Amino acid sequence: MAEKKVRFVIERQDSANDKPYIQEFDVDYRPGLNVVAALMEIQKNPVTVDGKRVPPVVWECNCLEKVCGACMMVINGKARQACCALVDEIDQPIKLQPARTFPVIRDLLIDRTRMFEALKKIQGWIELDGSFESKDAPIQNPYTAQTAYEISHCMTCGCCLEACPNVGPQSDFIGPAPTVQAYLFNLHPLGKFDAPKRLNALMEKGGITSCGNSQNCVEVCPKSIKLTTYLAQLNRDVNIQALKNIFDN
Amino acid sequence: MFHTTFYVRRLHSLCGLFVLGMVLFEHIFTNSMAILGPEALNGALEMMELIPKPIFMGLEVGGIAVPLLFHALYGIYIACQANNNPGRFGYIRNWNFALQRWTAWFLVPFLIWHVGYLRFYTKGVTGTPISWELLYNYFQNPLVVVLYVLGMFAAIFHFSNGITTFCMTWGITKGPRSQNVISVISMCLCAVLCLITLVFMGSYLVR
Amino acid sequence: MAKDMTKKKIIIVGGGISGLLATIKVCELGGEVDLFSYCPVKRSHSLCAQGGINACMDTKGEHDSIYEHFDDTVYGGDFLADQLAVKGMVEAAPKLIKMFDRMGVPFTRTAEGTLDLRNFGGQKNKRTCFAGSTTGQQILYALDEQVRRWEVKGAVKKYEFWEFVKIIKNKEGICRGIVAQSMNTMEIKAFKGDTVILATGGPGQVFGRCTASTICNGSAVSAVYQQGAEIANPEFIQIHPTAIPGSDKNRLMSEACRGEGGRVWVWRNNPETGERERWYFLEDMYPAYGNLVPRDVASRAIFKVCEHMKLGIDGEHRVYLDLSHIDGDYLKRKLGGILEMYSEFVGKDPREVPMEIFPSVHYSMGGIWVDRLHNTNIPGLMASGECDYQYHGANRLGANSLLSAAYSGTVSGPEAMKWAKTGNKGSELTDAEMEAARQEVQNEYDKILQMNGSENAHKLHHEMGDLMYKYVAIERDNNGLDQGLIELKKLLKRWDDIGITDRGNVANQEAMFVRQLRNMILYAMAITKGARMRDESRGAHAKIVLENGQRKHDKDGELVFMGRDDERFMKVTIVNYDEKTEEPIISYRDFDHSLIKPRARNYAVAKKE
Repeated sequence: MAEKKVRFVIERQDSANDKPYIQEFDVDYRPGLNVVAALMEIQKNPVTVDGKRVPPVVWECNCLEKVCGACMMVINGKARQACCALVDEIDQPIKLQPARTFPVIRDLLIDRTRMFEALKKIQGWIELDGSFESKDAPIQNPYTAQTAYEISHCMTCGCCLEACPNVGPQSDFIGPAPTVQAYLFNLHPLGKFDAPKRLNALMEKGGITSCGNSQNCVEVCPKSIKLTTYLAQLNRDVNIQALKNIFDN
Repeated sequence: MFHTTFYVRRLHSLCGLFVLGMVLFEHIFTNSMAILGPEALNGALEMMELIPKPIFMGLEVGGIAVPLLFHALYGIYIACQANNNPGRFGYIRNWNFALQRWTAWFLVPFLIWHVGYLRFYTKGVTGTPISWELLYNYFQNPLVVVLYVLGMFAAIFHFSNGITTFCMTWGITKGPRSQNVISVISMCLCAVLCLITLVFMGSYLVR
Repeated sequence: MAKDMTKKKIIIVGGGISGLLATIKVCELGGEVDLFSYCPVKRSHSLCAQGGINACMDTKGEHDSIYEHFDDTVYGGDFLADQLAVKGMVEAAPKLIKMFDRMGVPFTRTAEGTLDLRNFGGQKNKRTCFAGSTTGQQILYALDEQVRRWEVKGAVKKYEFWEFVKIIKNKEGICRGIVAQSMNTMEIKAFKGDTVILATGGPGQVFGRCTASTICNGSAVSAVYQQGAEIANPEFIQIHPTAIPGSDKNRLMSEACRGEGGRVWVWRNNPETGERERWYFLEDMYPAYGNLVPRDVASRAIFKVCEHMKLGIDGEHRVYLDLSHIDGDYLKRKLGGILEMYSEFVGKDPREVPMEIFPSVHYSMGGIWVDRLHNTNIPGLMASGECDYQYHGANRLGANSLLSAAYSGTVSGPEAMKWAKTGNKGSELTDAEMEAARQEVQNEYDKILQMNGSENAHKLHHEMGDLMYKYVAIERDNNGLDQGLIELKKLLKRWDDIGITDRGNVANQEAMFVRQLRNMILYAMAITKGARMRDESRGAHAKIVLENGQRKHDKDGELVFMGRDDERFMKVTIVNYDEKTEEPIISYRDFDHSLIKPRARNYAVAKKE
């Protein structure tokens, strides 16, 4: 009984400072199999193709529905979510690597703290007076709200940072995702009040000026957020803000 | 707070497109006279000699040397921030992004050689004026021709792609459609300028 | 600057909607929060909530009222919810929505720019505010942003990728801290706090494949249960009628599909004419509510159609959920996110062809017992969100979970501060007590690292899921539940024989899972025992009558279910942990049902009050 197998070539690393190495695993094929499900099978039977029993592969995942952003990894060279990477739709053997734009903790597990730190830099929040009922919320233009909804889908997965040639140890660019989030808050009728603060933050080192328009971000965004469109809009806003900074003072 | 990075980067963009763009156009325009023959080119070169020396020097320093040095030096800094990856992410814009930086790396030594040999050594040290005949002799060496064609192509691509990214950086083109239109137009411009370059470079060879 | 020692320190475990809202409330009251989570809080399971959040906004000219919302919730919960608690929640709902709106949640809007509302199961009025089909994600993100703001101000310290292991009690038995372990460095540490709030979500993973995230394992709830916290109503597990079955997980297809006009059907031969036809069985069985019957009712109907009538698609456990008759652009705007998900995982466009779905374990109505202010029976320990048992009774209405998560956070946060300031907290934890608690966890963990048996923890987990689905899911009977308990006990034995391959000290996910698995098995026993002891059908708990040890059928061959027994079972199941036998002890407790008199629950006819 020759069951169909799927070969996984996984780049592993025992800790942040260890050298990476490759291990290969075979997983029984089944229809609809995705990369996370395959990694789960490896957990149940962590034996390499050479018959060696090894510690199961370490990676991060939560929702398996492509909304949490946790399971981003480099699959056959492309940064994407592993949960929706269907084995049927990608070339085999399937090569899994950690997204090395970020520090690797172990195997495919990476440290994306920098993305959350960047959200602090751009002041990604509404300055709410308090979590109580104070008044009716302002009415919003439904079209603007739809744009906000689109941007608000960003799940901080890091695909765009992994793909962006300007993000990495050689640069201080905070990356497309956090940059574009600034626009989300600038769109909100209350968030607007602090738009100049956010734009000024984007003008700082590592902000929007570090964008080199390679436009990889928009190609790889798993949520199809029109990142480059909003980056251009932010560029426009930032330029106007710069003029204001010069002439209003 | 004064956002140095921001203003310097924007200045880099402005000076690349407008000042160095002008210089490039001037070079292509003047040199394209060679197509019409030695007299035309020499005439154009002599026309420039009519500009009073101090003003000409001023233009050369303020309009070429300073912007070029700034654009090149800061450009090196920018290029060093990129980890080009068109091999992994082979989208057109990413190729252009990488080419923008690769052409820049080529242009730095090329321009040092070009300015150093023709402007400083030939014109400055030996005092020989630039003329059709001088260039004709210079281009007898096929290596020089190849390097000059490559240098011109690199400069033209760098400039044309610069138009596209300039429009993004300044928020002029926002949506993908307008960005594509500008990109196509500037690539057409790139093709036309490259063609002109080929023709005037070729005009030396056929004579 | 010296640290302000008078500041109250609240430990909050769990960074979903409830935990984050509690965090914000604590910060606003001047407290400090240590926030623990398995993952960056922005990746918490709350983001999987799709359809919306119920609040009586009454902006659709339907004369909706808060009372109506109240009654729908109590009726939908088959009269097992604490009515005063529910009343508080539904009254607060519209205020919460307005607050979320100010906070920047991008709710879907009408052409006028006001909040749009949609239909949802078990409710006749449009009452569900929504942000496309990713409402939970949007609310969670807005709260995450606010908490980040407090983090920048220094009031919140996040411990992301830290696993809560257990609480620390002082001499008087009052909860004064926790022990947690870093999931990356494996460091184990004890933390002091004036109050501890658990907001750790549901136990979906107990069933293996479910709609929950991989992190929703109920391990924390089980840990405090083993330390003396009472569990209430664990047998009430909601099975969501519409999920995409999968081998790794069942992916939720929001009730919003039906709210926006989706219809559920299968092929059948018309009993009278014999013609092959589409049978819209929910509309047929429940004319008043049709496709929008509550989840327990819909799930049982789908199960019956597939399992007993054998009418599932190709004889399998699948039925059609059909949106293909609705305008594609409208669908994209209202349900975009989940339709995209279906296309992505199944490869077919729901706007063109009907989706194939089947019920799946989805939510736990039960959880840690709490009073109306979310205090557990252990002083100083609170529970908030899905991990508590409040608000939903025997069945939760769709879009009430986001509401209960949010509302519970607004209650537990301030209450935690009140306890921290004025509660009778007893003696401070000494360093020796802290170290002893830490060492105990360290020893347990070291023991796990040494496990050298023949079982694989993940395989055991899979088996547990299978057996829970077999015995404790949509249709239960006492034979099965007894058998389930026996098998769970065997599983607990086999846990001792686990062997692990990973003995490393960096991100050792295997060792952590082994610890979680034991907690899950113990919680599964609580669910099963609770179900075994409740001899009635109520809400999500449907039990078949046994006759001579066999399932009883009526003269038409239909299964006979036990009726609701208000006399004996209109009571909250209380589960205590027996340390000696490791088994659950069941008792029953009265609750407040003073406002609405119980009446029969029948969705075939319009509700009468």
